[in-house]
Amino acid sequence: MRLIVHNMLTCNIKGVINKFPLRIEAEKVIKKEVDFNPDFLRHMLAKIEWKALVDGARSMGYTELPDHAPALESDEPFLRKFHHALLELNLEEGSLVCQESGRKFPVEKRVPNMLLHEDEV
Amino acid sequence: MKATLAPSSLISLPRHKVSSLRSPSLLLQSQRPSSALMTTTTAASRGSVAVTAAATSSVEALREGIAEFYNETSGLWEEIWGDHMHHGFYDPDSSVQLSDSGHREAQIRMIEESLRFAGVTEEEKKIKRVVDVGCGIGGSSRYIASKFGAECIGITLSPVQAKRANDLATAQSLSHKVSFQVADALEQPFEDGIFDLVWSMESGEHMPDKAKFVKELVRVAAPGGRIIIVTWCHRNLSQGEEALQPWEQNLLDRICKTFYLPAWCSTSDYVDLLQSLSLQDIKCADWSENVAPFWPAVIRTALTWKGLVSLLRSGMKSIKGALTMPLMIEGYKKGVIKFGIITCQKPL
Repeated sequence: MRLIVHNMLTCNIKGVINKFPLRIEAEKVIKKEVDFNPDFLRHMLAKIEWKALVDGARSMGYTELPDHAPALESDEPFLRKFHHALLELNLEEGSLVCQESGRKFPVEKRVPNMLLHEDEV
Repeated sequence: MKATLAPSSLISLPRHKVSSLRSPSLLLQSQRPSSALMTTTTAASRGSVAVTAAATSSVEALREGIAEFYNETSGLWEEIWGDHMHHGFYDPDSSVQLSDSGHREAQIRMIEESLRFAGVTEEEKKIKRVVDVGCGIGGSSRYIASKFGAECIGITLSPVQAKRANDLATAQSLSHKVSFQVADALEQPFEDGIFDLVWSMESGEHMPDKAKFVKELVRVAAPGGRIIIVTWCHRNLSQGEEALQPWEQNLLDRICKTFYLPAWCSTSDYVDLLQSLSLQDIKCADWSENVAPFWPAVIRTALTWKGLVSLLRSGMKSIKGALTMPLMIEGYKKGVIKFGIITCQKPL
């Protein structure tokens, strides 16, 4: 699971209000190189929840992202860091944890399992 | 020979008030003795107080059954048919027996025809983020992500499918654009209103609660976003008709058992649901004639040496599934089963 996806995932357990973001407990992280596409990144910058990305990246061992996205988004060094965090860090094994309920959603072989149990619906 | 595209009937519906949902099979937990989840009579159909509890664990059992079915059969399908797990779209009068590659092209054409029917192809640039609900091994997701340069997220109940879908994305250098999760279409793990295109290609037939399924599709669609549902339905009920004929229901029940399908609904039922949720530009069509060559072709591939060996290796669920395929042909021929497309747009 990459952070571009993590930035969209919510916990839909009935009654939970604070559904996003899910905290990452990383057991195995791999890095996979992806082609750098500045236009795509600039477009994504507008959609990304920044704090969730920074915290998620830290949980996966990457601490280079600034606390806030810079005003001058065309700054290439920044885009490179953004690119790396968003697309190249891959959670192979671990959990996504709902901050409110504590429920853990497993991530196995890069695939998050977001299925809810009967009593959570 | 110039190909003519003639979906059997194109209906563009005016908006009108919907007072009630006609088909009792829309809700698993219906109070009426509805068509059974599988072939067995459950507590639900006896109308007891324990309906909800019995029905809920039936939903869990269905979900697990679907996951196991696709865990077992996906590899087999992919080996013989490739990465699109849906019907091909054919010209209605075509009598030419197609090659394997002809059928693969027809499966691509199904995607293109669906996009065109929904009016998406004129608005390509607006499609930035797509969800593929019931994504299989990700054929549609990868195709659409490539076509529009969009980000695509797929969800499936099968961990085997999700992993395979991700591996194929990596192999096709698309892993930055598409990714796949195990999740329930009835409880999509996404915020409201984030997808420009909500795509459900032949997954609706697995949903035990059609109303909830449609509500979730609508919830995650962005304002102005389009929803495309392509699904197996039963024929529309006539005025005054409460349910299908017993023989029709019996045919569907036999199919439900091996394909892990809950009760079926009609194309009109989907339209009613979308209208009740105030969607715009609702369109539907019956593409049954355009998919007629598909099941005979699948049966032919199953009966090849490679097909038979693979089936035997794959397991009982695959074998039972294969034995059920003639019932699909029968259903289409007798007008019980319809291949429907329903599309709409979420208001701004």
